[in-house]
Formats: sequence, structure tokens, C-alpha cells
Amino acid sequence: MIRTLGIALVVCGGLAQAQGQEQTSPDAIALLRKIYQATEKLSYAGTFIYQQGERSETSRITRVTGPGPDGDIERVEVLDGMPREIVRTRDTVRCYLPESHTVKVERRSDRRAFPAMLPEQIAELARSYTITRGEPTRIAGYDCEAVVLTPKDELRYGYRLWADVATGMLLKARTFNRKGETVEQFVFTQLSIGNVSRERVKTRQNMARNWHVEDAAVTPANFARSGWTVGAELPGFRKIIEVTRRLGEARPVNQMVYSDGLAAVSVFIEPMAGRTEAVRPGPSSLGAFHIYTREVANHIVTVVGEAPAMSVQRIAAGVEFKRPQ
Amino acid sequence: MKTRISALMDGELERHESAPPLDALKAGGEARDAWRAYHLIGDAMRDMRMLSDGFAARVAAKLAEEPTVMAPSRLAQRLERPRWQLLSAAASLAAVAMVTAAWYAIQDATVPGPQVAQIAEQAAPPAAQVLPPDSANDYLYAHQGYSPRNSLQGMAPYVRMVSSESRAAKQ
Repeated sequence: MIRTLGIALVVCGGLAQAQGQEQTSPDAIALLRKIYQATEKLSYAGTFIYQQGERSETSRITRVTGPGPDGDIERVEVLDGMPREIVRTRDTVRCYLPESHTVKVERRSDRRAFPAMLPEQIAELARSYTITRGEPTRIAGYDCEAVVLTPKDELRYGYRLWADVATGMLLKARTFNRKGETVEQFVFTQLSIGNVSRERVKTRQNMARNWHVEDAAVTPANFARSGWTVGAELPGFRKIIEVTRRLGEARPVNQMVYSDGLAAVSVFIEPMAGRTEAVRPGPSSLGAFHIYTREVANHIVTVVGEAPAMSVQRIAAGVEFKRPQ
Repeated sequence: MKTRISALMDGELERHESAPPLDALKAGGEARDAWRAYHLIGDAMRDMRMLSDGFAARVAAKLAEEPTVMAPSRLAQRLERPRWQLLSAAASLAAVAMVTAAWYAIQDATVPGPQVAQIAEQAAPPAAQVLPPDSANDYLYAHQGYSPRNSLQGMAPYVRMVSSESRAAKQ
């Protein structure tokens, strides 16, 4: 009797262990890859809602794919609140702000300067996340399958993604924290896939009247040479890019981006002298974004990340300046 | 008052600050409507199942109708406890042991190492979250271009910016 009980206990414990540590499934990685390929290849037009806290904002998104340098064009237009429109071609991103008659331009002269997630890197995500299949559901008229990325530590958020079974088009994306609470969410309310007219990706802005252009003038850089380092790097995050660029009117800043393959954190470093408005040090947040500002060696360090406050704060704390010898 | 109620729900108010909104809620009316509406918004965002209209009232009415159950105690049977009851007692003890073991197994599997826990304590975010200034948009925008998320979601993540509307909603 006792022996039977003992065996039952062992079996029971083993089962519980297996449930506590669910394994990444190749099937779930395959779905992630399918979503990635759909984002690359599909033409579509639709309306989605971005939700964060009590705020929700509706936007329209249109994408056309085709051959040639201007083949792929994507346009997103925010319909609620401050009007803004962003148009991306293969080598340029333009953000139109009609209220201030401003257009921000960012050119991708060097394709390497804009790292995208590569299909072979998708499997590497399994180092930081447990990737599993979720419950299928129906969104905006499409039968969807789901993939869940559960973080293996507290340095990143979790993601739940729903994609159309037929095409792999992402219909809904939810970011959740370690308590499982939704941090922010994107969800399509209407979507048509394929057959999008090129007219629909052209900007609606009439640029004839004195718009001013803010060119980001992005150039590759190496900050370690000029004395800037990030001491304690976060486990799973590695530096993916270092550039010098302009922010807003004409402020040159250094930008370094760290990523675990999905979550990304940017470190901006700029001279204090260039700032016109007062700097407020400390943390702030907006949905899945956390920002941490501090002062280092007469420079303002601003760390912006789609990661929990702790990660952003740790990267910010690690920024150091040592005068080059 | 509505913003105070929202802050109360988010746990952002100090003890002495929470008395006026709580009083307003007790009084009912607009404050309670706001409380319900905010919870409804929260539930909708978390995809919680909605209860039908007047659910609480119906449950209260059903409870009021229920007769009080008077269960007679079984004194006589308890005196001569049959053998199978002892056995079932042993079985339930075993069940408790199994559940306990399973619980500890789950704990072992999910509790992170002591190092992570320590860091979490040191860098715990403040209870009240500060919204970034409008000038933060330049940084958010500059960051978006390098987010690997774009490879899965196209340009949708670009819509995330601090807007004067979100500021107004928070204040």
C-alpha cells in the first residue's frame, strides 16, 4: 500500500514538474516564421486599434508589395488624436506631422544599418523565451492560430500573437508582464489581404506649403572609441547597432540599440549644452515603453525600451564615460 | 472626481487621499457609474468574460430566496466508525501529500533564482507611473526604426507615441 502511494507521489510530482516548465515547440517556431514571411510578402489594407491602459487609438494601415526599389510601400495613418502619417519604402521612412508642417525623414543608405529580424534568428529567440502554441480563435473574420512567447526571466515582457491560419498575417499582438497582465495590445478590427491599389499608399499630405524637413542623417559610429560604454549588459541582450543621428530640429545624438531578438532598448547620449528644455531625470513609461533619463559627464543619457522598467533602468545605470587615452 | 477614481483603481492614491473618492462611490450616482465603466474597460482589455446585465442583483435575489439548510448531525454513526471510513481517511491524507508534493514541484519550477529576485527588489518600479513628456516622442520615434518587432508586425508599432490626449486622460 505504502509502496503504491510512493510511486503515485513520484508520478504526480513528475507531471507537475513537466507542466511548470513547458518546452519550446518546433511547431510554435514554425508559426513565428510564417508570421515573419507574411509581414515580408503580403499586400493588405486594414484598420487596427492600439490599446494601452485606458487609451485606445485607431489607425489605418496599408501595404503594397512589388519588385523594384519602390516596390514595397507601407503607410500607416493614426485616425484618433494628433494626426500623423508614416510612410515607409524599402530605403526611407517619412513621418508627416501636419499640425506642425513637419516631415521627419530617415534614410537607409546602408541596409545593415537597419537590422531586421532574420528567419534564422527566430530560433534563437528560444534562448530568452519559451515559445509555445496558444489557443486558436477568430479575429476580424479570420480564423487565427496563436503563438505565445513566455520570457524565461523578468528582464523582458511576454508576447501572445495571433495570425491568420491561411496566410500567416498577424491579426493581434498582446504584450504581457510577469503577472500576466496586458501591457499593450494591437488588434485588427477590419482587414483585407491582397489586391491593394498603389494609390492607397501615397501620402494624403499636400506638401506644397512651407513644410520643413527634419533629416535624421543616420551614420554608423563607434562610441567605445570616444569613451562611452554600457558596463553591465543585460543577459540575452546584445548590441545590434551604433549610429549618430539627429533628433528633432538639429540635435545630434548617439544611439546604441540592444536587443534579445524581439525586445529592444535604445541608449541615446547627447551633450547637455544642446538641450533647450529642462531635463527631467528618472523613470517614465508609456504602455510597454519605459524611459529612464540620467546625467553622465555633462551629457544626457536617455534609455528607451520596450522592456520592463527594471531592464531599462539597469542599462541606464551601466552607461559610463571614460576619457579616451 | 473621475480621475481620482481612476487613480484609486490603479492603486496610485495614498491612504488619506482615497477617502473622498471612496465616499463618492458609497454615495453612488456618477462616481459609481465611472467605477463600473473603468472596470468594464479594464475587463474588455483583458478579454474577461462579461456578465449579463443585473447579474449581481439576480444573485442577491436568488440567495434571499434560498431556504436555510438545517443539517441534522449523525451522532449514532460516528460512534461505530466502519473500517472503510478509516481507509478513506488514509486515502485523503495521501491525496493531501500528493497535492503538497505537486505544489512544491511547481514552486521549484517557477520561482526564479535568488539573484533575479534580489535585483527585482532593488530596481522595483515606482507605484505611480510617470508619463513621459511630449518631447520623448523624438526618442520613441527614433527607437521604432530599430525594433525587431517591425519584422513581425510591419509599421503598426510606429503609432505608439505620447499624445496630448493620453496626457489629458491621465491628469
